[in-house]
Amino acid sequence: MLSSLQNPRQAAAQLMNFGLILSTAFMMWKGLSVISDSPSPIVVVLSGSMEPAFQRGDLLLLWNRNLVSETNVGEIVVYNVKGKDIPIVHRVVRKFGLGPDAKLLTKGDNNAADDTELYARGQDYLARQDIVGSVVGYIPFVGYVTIMLSEHPWMKTAMLGIMGLVVVLQRE
Amino acid sequence: MYSSVVRLQNTFGFFTTVAFVVAAIIAASDLLAPRTPSVGLLKTTNLQVVRGRPHYYSSKKEEYAIIKFSLDADLSSLFTWNTKQLFVYVTAEWPSVGGSGSGQNATNQAVIWDSIITSPSADHLANLGPIAMKKLKRSAAGKSIDPNRGKLSLKNQRPKYQISHPSGKVAEQEDVVLRLHYNVQPWVGILTWNQDADFWKWTTLRNNLSKKFKLPAIKKKVEKKAGASS
Repeated sequence: MLSSLQNPRQAAAQLMNFGLILSTAFMMWKGLSVISDSPSPIVVVLSGSMEPAFQRGDLLLLWNRNLVSETNVGEIVVYNVKGKDIPIVHRVVRKFGLGPDAKLLTKGDNNAADDTELYARGQDYLARQDIVGSVVGYIPFVGYVTIMLSEHPWMKTAMLGIMGLVVVLQRE
Repeated sequence: MYSSVVRLQNTFGFFTTVAFVVAAIIAASDLLAPRTPSVGLLKTTNLQVVRGRPHYYSSKKEEYAIIKFSLDADLSSLFTWNTKQLFVYVTAEWPSVGGSGSGQNATNQAVIWDSIITSPSADHLANLGPIAMKKLKRSAAGKSIDPNRGKLSLKNQRPKYQISHPSGKVAEQEDVVLRLHYNVQPWVGILTWNQDADFWKWTTLRNNLSKKFKLPAIKKKVEKKAGASS
């Protein structure tokens, strides 16, 4: 029972192990961020506005470099709007101009109207710098856990409790 | 030690590994399926430019182009067991207004029409009313891949989107072309668009440009007779 509490060396080793797992995950995330040049290279779909292509909980891999060509009409991009903290995944439907000054308009495949209403007050178009990345890869459903956790906060508490118990009670 | 927690962890770990390997194999199988999309016809049938407001409460007047077109295309080879949906779209593209050397607005691209074609395996996800859904499901009952999906034949199709430009002017714009694009959405894996060159078993979409055309001058608004006045 509670062997780790009786043996400080083992407790320290377990703490190190836990820290190693956390830092590995963090490094992989940041590494992906550097490779894709995107502040958040993996996002979870939160709304149904791109259905039937993306459902809630699907995982998207983003790429934010324009190595071969610019961000073009038809690409599905994740963008941020000033003053709103939730990134939006929609398709670019209009592009006027080239380079960083290009004016981009987006629309959800499942929405009737374009995104002008979603943009900041007085903003009619997106700029390239508002875009966090273009969707290149798709894995269904895997991200649903994060939606469950954010919508039912008690699950987060329960999960943290179970993880803590496992760490404390684990013998080896 | 072999506690039940460790066993549970191992089982879950093995499950995720197997799931990801299977998903990767499915995603890679896309490359083995040949893609031979073809376009028979893409041409404009009716051009119109009208003045209008971007939304009901706006006082700004802009010019809008209404481009009707005909399209014949066979994209059925894009449907494989890993295809969830095909997003087909037609863009109008034109060069910079005035052609100033500043580089601003050098190229303009706007979607005038698009369509989501679901694979029979994704029909239940389509955003349709109950009757249209029943019809869609019946059209491919018992088939995992429907060879009729992706065959497009549009005649004098009205555009879904009336396009404008940030400058508010599109009338008498020259060198406008229509271009057909597609985007294949997989069940798992990499999203693909029509590629510019042939790539192993995937051929590029040829003949997907219309002839260059010039948008007409503004059509004078025909005053509608007031029907039922409320």
